[in-house]
Amino acid sequence: MIGNDIVDLEQAAIDSNWKRKGYLDKLFDHEEQFMITSGISSALMVWLLWSMKESAYKIYSRVNKLREFAPLKLHCNNLIIYKDKATGNVFYEDEVYYTESSFDKHYVHTIAATKQEELERVEIKITDQTPPDYKMTNPNSVSHHGAYLALVYL
Amino acid sequence: MDRAELIERLTPIIATYAQDKDAVASINETTDFIKDLKINSANLVDVILDVEEEFDIEIDNLSMERMLNVTAAIEIIEDKLKTK
Repeated sequence: MIGNDIVDLEQAAIDSNWKRKGYLDKLFDHEEQFMITSGISSALMVWLLWSMKESAYKIYSRVNKLREFAPLKLHCNNLIIYKDKATGNVFYEDEVYYTESSFDKHYVHTIAATKQEELERVEIKITDQTPPDYKMTNPNSVSHHGAYLALVYL
Repeated sequence: MDRAELIERLTPIIATYAQDKDAVASINETTDFIKDLKINSANLVDVILDVEEEFDIEIDNLSMERMLNVTAAIEIIEDKLKTK
């Protein structure tokens, strides 16, 4: 099973002030905060980790039919960042999710999967032109934020 | 503080982050932050932080987990005000 999450970086900069006192403490554990503060682009790291948690949460909530806002129960781990992509894991309760992210100066996008092999099979479409009939294409996972729509097919 | 006063103080906070401004006009105890008001999940943290400031309380992680609608928010605020 897969989940995906896209963050429009321009929209996020307008909507969220992650430098606000207490903000990071509610979302990220010490290790994650260390990654945010010690890297070269803190804002990118905030939204990269956030999209990892969101995409994993989407799978978990779908499987367990449960809604909760518990970002601190999701732990990002084994993160490896390349030039414009990243891979990692998210741990949530007893589950482990495999993540693959891509980013540029406009957006951060992450796919989470219950199996590593699913990440190799997915087809991703990211667009800033929302096609009116995109639901007809039966995407497995949809994420929408700001100007961007991300569709993932498995 | 009675419930009406509590909702009155809570409403402007959640209205700030609601993307569905029409739904704000009809906020009541059953209103869901995400489904009804379309609050972005990254802004749920702002709601929590604003509520903490407005009512001078601290919302623990366990309470935060279920603070997804007006009823839960009211229960949590009342509970924290009692133990203050």
